[in-house]
Amino acid sequence: MDMLLDLTVRWAHFIAGIIWVGHNYSSVVQRPSWQPLRAEELSDDRSPRFQALLNREHGFFRWASVVTWCAGLLMLWRQGWLSDALALQGSLAPIGVGMYIGTLMMLNVWLVLWPHQKKVLGLVPASIDERLRCSRITHLSSRTNTMLSIPLLFFMATGSHGGLL
Amino acid sequence: RHPYDTARGTIALGVLLTLVLAALVRLLAG
Repeated sequence: MDMLLDLTVRWAHFIAGIIWVGHNYSSVVQRPSWQPLRAEELSDDRSPRFQALLNREHGFFRWASVVTWCAGLLMLWRQGWLSDALALQGSLAPIGVGMYIGTLMMLNVWLVLWPHQKKVLGLVPASIDERLRCSRITHLSSRTNTMLSIPLLFFMATGSHGGLL
Repeated sequence: RHPYDTARGTIALGVLLTLVLAALVRLLAG
């Protein structure tokens, strides 16, 4: 039963992580270079259906970040590795670094990206100028996570195939 | 331009940060 739980948590970590980072990567592929948003490009569809659609799409990857983070911590805790990973001790230092980077990324989604994204999408009332200003912040916040995902995945890989560092 | 304004700049920064952190981990925890 314990093994089944460990496997399920690890599986959830992979799936939620792919949903989260996959969403981020797809935005890089769609818009590889920054193009300033124009006022006429801001969606002003106030219909409840459209707002719900936007909310669901963004909610999906936002909550995937929480599932990924919780599953990652749970894995470390169940293995008895959490305290050494937190302290960056010995062979658990790499996965510990990965854990800290992942935590930063999750906080970035919730505390920087989402509050500004709500204004850009029109889910929270804001002036056109404010929405355009926020679109720059959401771009930088999103690309910060793209950038951080590179060392994150490196330390996940080296952490579970120890001895490389 | 900000490095994040191109995909290439974003990836280059990510690789650079990886190398720096890997060197630090090797130095301090290895």
